Amino acid sequence: MQNVLSILFCLSLFYLAVTPRVKAYVAVLRFQGILLTILLMLPFIEQFSIFAVILPATLFIIKVIVIPRYINKIILELDIKRTIEPTIQQFNFLLLVIFSFIIIFLAASILSQSTEIEIIPFASGFAAVAVGIFIIIFRKKLIIHVAGFLVLENGIFLFGTAVASELPIMIEIGVLLDVFVVVFLMGIALNRISSTFEGFDVTILRRLKD
Amino acid sequence: MEVVQILQGIISLILILGLSPLFVGLVNKQKAIYTGRAGASILQPYYELKKLMKKETINANSSSFISTIAPLINLIAVAAAAAMLPISFARPLISFEGDIILFAYMLGLARFFQVLAAMDIGSSFEGMGAAREATFAVFAEPIFFFTIGSIAFISGFTSIYDIYHSIRLDNISFVVFIIVCSISVFILAVTECSRMPVDDPNTHLELTMIHEVMILDNSGIDLFLYQYSSYIKLFIYVILEASFFYPFAVQSYTLGIIIFVVVIIILSAALAAVETVTSRFKMKNIPHYLLFATAIGILNLLIYTFTK
Repeated sequence: MQNVLSILFCLSLFYLAVTPRVKAYVAVLRFQGILLTILLMLPFIEQFSIFAVILPATLFIIKVIVIPRYINKIILELDIKRTIEPTIQQFNFLLLVIFSFIIIFLAASILSQSTEIEIIPFASGFAAVAVGIFIIIFRKKLIIHVAGFLVLENGIFLFGTAVASELPIMIEIGVLLDVFVVVFLMGIALNRISSTFEGFDVTILRRLKD
Repeated sequence: MEVVQILQGIISLILILGLSPLFVGLVNKQKAIYTGRAGASILQPYYELKKLMKKETINANSSSFISTIAPLINLIAVAAAAAMLPISFARPLISFEGDIILFAYMLGLARFFQVLAAMDIGSSFEGMGAAREATFAVFAEPIFFFTIGSIAFISGFTSIYDIYHSIRLDNISFVVFIIVCSISVFILAVTECSRMPVDDPNTHLELTMIHEVMILDNSGIDLFLYQYSSYIKLFIYVILEASFFYPFAVQSYTLGIIIFVVVIIILSAALAAVETVTSRFKMKNIPHYLLFATAIGILNLLIYTFTK
């Protein structure tokens, strides 16, 4: 079941690599949030405990409801255009993603010979980190950089579930809080930039200097 | 026993050849209903084929013998590919180890002659359509080999019939592979048969057409052969996808037929829905769409290779 969810996660990463729309990024973030919530609830199906509810519930509220809504609100308020404005062609980007997938799966299979890891969730998490970094590098819009950062964070989360079956709950909640605060800070920064400066193209942001 | 198997194979082939226009009619009817029209009868493709048979065949002055033989070779190659597909539990007419490669290249041969005939006519429109068809075929071929190839790896067989028979739906990882593969086979079907997100079958502007523009100068029996083979091709891909969902573990002939019919009706509804809600992509966006399907196939293969 963990493998099935991880494969769906990989498919959502491929979709991120081809879609040209900002709305689709938000939808994929929401979808990944749902996948991670189900993934966290899996070990607790047999024995119920209060911790089984707290972390998935927090994750669900933050990743599926609050953050996507907040990003949508920013998009609406700042009147951001619908396309993502890539710096390289989407075709090359997808090729890059495919090659990184191949390398990551190879690395994961080599690693699994010496340490105890679940290959598919491990590789999917790793791949999400790579795709998140690629999104940040190859997209011009600032709001997409926020989305790329969130994909990266989802990857780290998945990575964590692959390495240890049960995560230390306080650490996870701490990470979630961090991400939440960072997204808010980015939103506020975007608002600030928009009030003094037109457009969010990172290639012309250097004009902002004193 | 031998005779019964051959008879079953012949019946399967006749079913595929006979029912393929009906499937197109079904899709068109549902498309009409979704867009609020009454729509033509389900049997309309048969009437159109009958009309074409009566018409006179005219070839362009500049065309050579290629134009006269290409439609027939096209139809025969597609029919030979159709003879390799199992319907329900019957063994197909042509079935041997490694026939998935023959299957792919029979369809490739059909496409090759169609492209050749289009260039043979000597009109710039046909040449443009041929160039597009060839370009997108380059991207569509890896989809087939990565998708069906990964299923072949998982099952350990290289014959279409054996591959489908080794599918067990009680194995959860098999279910995932099937779902993932059926997405990319759907994209493959849409591309190869020039359906909506890649090509608009109803467009009347030569600059935007892919498949239709190649047969623009054909008439009469030639056009009949091209149209009929395109209907069969669509049905072949639909069966390729529908076969994933047979409960082969059950091994009952009547149940197989019922499930086959239900899955095909569901697929026609899905195809009509996709064609209703999407518009045609820009030409430059089509390679991303096809590479996405290839990526799914590669993912399947990676997962299989590194988790065994």
